[in-house]
Amino acid sequence: MDLFSSLGLGFSVALDPFNILYCFVGVLLGTLVGVLPGIGPTATIAMLLPITFSLNAETALIMLAGIYYGAQYGGSTTAILINLPGESSAAVTAIDGYQMARKGRAGPALAAAAIGSFFAGSVATFLLAAFAPPLARAALNFGAPEYFSLIVLGLLVSIALAHGSIIKALAMIVLGLLLGMVGQDIYTGTPRFTFGLRELFGGLNFVAVAVGVFGVAEILRNLENEHEREVGVKAVKNLWLTRDDIKRIIWPVLRGTGIGSVLGVLPGGGHILSAFASYSAEKRLSKHPEEFGKGAIEGVAGPESANNAAAQTSFIPLMTLGIPAHPVMALMIGAFILQGITPGPNVINEQPALFWGIIASMWVGNLLLVILNLPLVGLWVKMLSIPYRVLFPAIVLFACIGTFSINQNIYDIYAIAFFGIVGYLLIRFGCEPAPLLLGFVLGPLLEEHLRRAMIISRGDPTIFVTRPISATLLVLALAAVLVAVLPSIRKKRAEVFVEED
Amino acid sequence: MALNASRNDLAAGAIFVAFGGYFALEALRYDFGTPFRMGPGFMPVLLGGILVALGIAVAAKGVGKPDEAAAPPWPWRGLVLVLGTILFFAATFRGLGFIPVVLIAGLATALSSTRNSMLSALVISVGLCVLCLLIFVVGLGMIVPLVGPWLRF
Amino acid sequence: MKTLFKTLAIGLVASSALSAVAVSAQDYPTQPVTIVVPFSAGGPTDTVTRLVAAAMSEDLGQQVVVQNVGGAGGTLGAGQVAAAANDGYTLLLHHIGMSTAPALYASLPYSPMEDFAPIGLVTEVPMTMVARKDFEPASLEDLIAYVKENGENVTYANAGIGAASQLCGLLFQDALDIKLTEVPYQGTGPAMTDLLGGQIDMMCDQTTNTTSQIQAGEIKAYAVTTPERIAVLPDVPTMAEGGVENFNLSIWHGLYAPAGTDPAIIERLTSALQAALADENVGNSFAELGTYPVPASEATPDALAEKLEGQTALWAEVIAAAGVAAQ
Repeated sequence: MDLFSSLGLGFSVALDPFNILYCFVGVLLGTLVGVLPGIGPTATIAMLLPITFSLNAETALIMLAGIYYGAQYGGSTTAILINLPGESSAAVTAIDGYQMARKGRAGPALAAAAIGSFFAGSVATFLLAAFAPPLARAALNFGAPEYFSLIVLGLLVSIALAHGSIIKALAMIVLGLLLGMVGQDIYTGTPRFTFGLRELFGGLNFVAVAVGVFGVAEILRNLENEHEREVGVKAVKNLWLTRDDIKRIIWPVLRGTGIGSVLGVLPGGGHILSAFASYSAEKRLSKHPEEFGKGAIEGVAGPESANNAAAQTSFIPLMTLGIPAHPVMALMIGAFILQGITPGPNVINEQPALFWGIIASMWVGNLLLVILNLPLVGLWVKMLSIPYRVLFPAIVLFACIGTFSINQNIYDIYAIAFFGIVGYLLIRFGCEPAPLLLGFVLGPLLEEHLRRAMIISRGDPTIFVTRPISATLLVLALAAVLVAVLPSIRKKRAEVFVEED
Repeated sequence: MALNASRNDLAAGAIFVAFGGYFALEALRYDFGTPFRMGPGFMPVLLGGILVALGIAVAAKGVGKPDEAAAPPWPWRGLVLVLGTILFFAATFRGLGFIPVVLIAGLATALSSTRNSMLSALVISVGLCVLCLLIFVVGLGMIVPLVGPWLRF
Repeated sequence: MKTLFKTLAIGLVASSALSAVAVSAQDYPTQPVTIVVPFSAGGPTDTVTRLVAAAMSEDLGQQVVVQNVGGAGGTLGAGQVAAAANDGYTLLLHHIGMSTAPALYASLPYSPMEDFAPIGLVTEVPMTMVARKDFEPASLEDLIAYVKENGENVTYANAGIGAASQLCGLLFQDALDIKLTEVPYQGTGPAMTDLLGGQIDMMCDQTTNTTSQIQAGEIKAYAVTTPERIAVLPDVPTMAEGGVENFNLSIWHGLYAPAGTDPAIIERLTSALQAALADENVGNSFAELGTYPVPASEATPDALAEKLEGQTALWAEVIAAAGVAAQ
């Protein structure tokens, strides 16, 4: 029973009172900083990284992992309460979460997010403990062609993000893809669409774009009709989930956990798709898809679970192979190195107490997070009773300072204003911002993997269909399109099946 | 003024065409490359073209289908003050420093709501300034001059 | 006189705190010192800086804060320090990119040699030529014969324009007079992922990133890029042992202040740097990264200035020959 003895070792580390304390401090700080508008998990960790330096390796990394979950959860809270996502997955949560908040259901939205995250985190942690090495090996079979096909699939499936016009959603995705290409081309170094500003060589900052198209645009929308009504959210009805809510979120949480666990293992950008994929799946499977985008609790529970599961399993490539799946993991590598540990395939053998301790602490961290956050739901919801005329100047200022503090880049703030006006106009004219953000985060990946695949295949495009994983993904993408654009076919087939019954 | 088309669709389509056109035209100046080694211009030209086409499609779909609801009023005061504040913040944050910029920006944004009087806007901006100082400078150790070089003598 | 004028000019243009310059250098430092790292947090340069900063603050008796200003291949952060007040409270820790930027960026708003006052070298990280573990060649000699024969059929991963891994590849191709198919990545992390997965053939990266993978047998190491073998990888030969002459490449890191900083302050910082590099904890942590602190004789302004000058000339030539430019 190797796994159990290893986990026993892990829990003996994680349940050390000192480590529990620091795990709690990490979760708390992560939540509090992550909740600030404009500051997502990556920025939170970068800011809080230094406070872990003085601790010993296990405690420091346990605390850091705690900061990560806390930040992620805090980011979702901001997305739900004030429509300000700090990272791409929270942009999905914002779609229905914010609508729930506006209807006075911020409490259930936050609770569903917390419970979904906890469940998904626990399951994914178990997967990490039991299957990390083989999963990591399997993920290495994903090369550039596979990622390209996966992203194409993700983009096509995510048209479901829109609850209005499909063609407008497509246009928003393409606009997002293009915006993602601003900056220095990594293949040739050519600066693209930068107006000669070196500050833009690194590309547009995600937080600036998100704060603009979600946050600032929303504020401008709210200022439209100020004379007639006090804007903001309606009175809060209840804090906790109703029986019906619980029934509605069980399956989304389970499916989200599955989707997120699988995608999180892929180091080349799988985690980005997790929340979007879960949302699309829930909308497709729902009996009342028309509620999505207007405050469907499934649209919060599913993506939050998927995101948290992916956050957990994205530790797999890091811990077993020493390769970072995303910027947060790159920061974690830095933290490992500062603690005198070089992450790599040997950590599991050379530092078993550390390896299993961190895994066990993930579970402890998730538990602490749910214990911490369920009571906090009441506090967060109270924040909504602050009059909007006080709240929105705070949002604008926090967003500006927060965004600036990430990279000390003034142009990120100009970008907020630019995307604020563009986002406001597009939303006013009936387009939705979430597909744009998805395109924005996937644009660079799409191009990078396409070009890399073509270089590796020496210009032969059949590489996408001759590699089995890639071919399978493309077939799925094709199927997704057929299902989406030919609903009549689906209907007819359904009728056929009914008749056969 | 009677326009037999959706103003929203026409406007959205126009925005898409403008963006797509900009990206595609600008990208024409970059190396297009070959399928083997795609240049930096390849994807943007392709996607820019697609966006222009989608924009036209969005606009075309709106023809003959006027919007059902009347357009909401434009929040002119908010547009000018909120966006202006953000631009002001970006332009002066390094020069004037944390405290003056946060005070002025807080005041201006608060005034963009017609529900705030001058007095309540002042209270809001001072309160926010203290809060931001506590969170970002004291709490997170942000490195930024509190009073910037433009105001020092 | 010229320096004084420049001091005044910078001071007036940026209206920076002139009072700080006037404070006697003997009291320095009286407030926390900021070291700007021109890359994002968590990268190898950031790690090196944080280790050194912690040790330096002990010697200086003031907190040394690390600030990450990433972007545009490190030129944004460097530009910011070049324009900062030269009062000794804003420093820059930059790597080899300081010497390649003039060749890569046509319109650089600062001059690495004129706008900075060197304080000292910090460390030199060796690099390793590595390949996927099932790559055919068995030894460095085999590898050389193999790449000469297969040329463009061999894929070589790098982390983009101006990255250490790209520079190493340029030197390697230059030395052997071959052309490999270069595959750029967004950083060495994803490149390592593809190397581990066997998606690409070769890469050259800092020991910081490759040592643990080599030791675990996940990738093959053919050579180190330094003149001598290195302690953590005693079995890996040098390029010279394989017959590649004049191949000497390490990712050197230097500490700089803005030009015109009081020489007494520079002296104080140099001694703090030397004390930090002699610190046992720093030495151990560096060793873990597969590198070492430079000896005190090199942690000096002169040694850094010399390094910067020599490297700037070298890379101007190599980069021009390869026809690479970021702008």
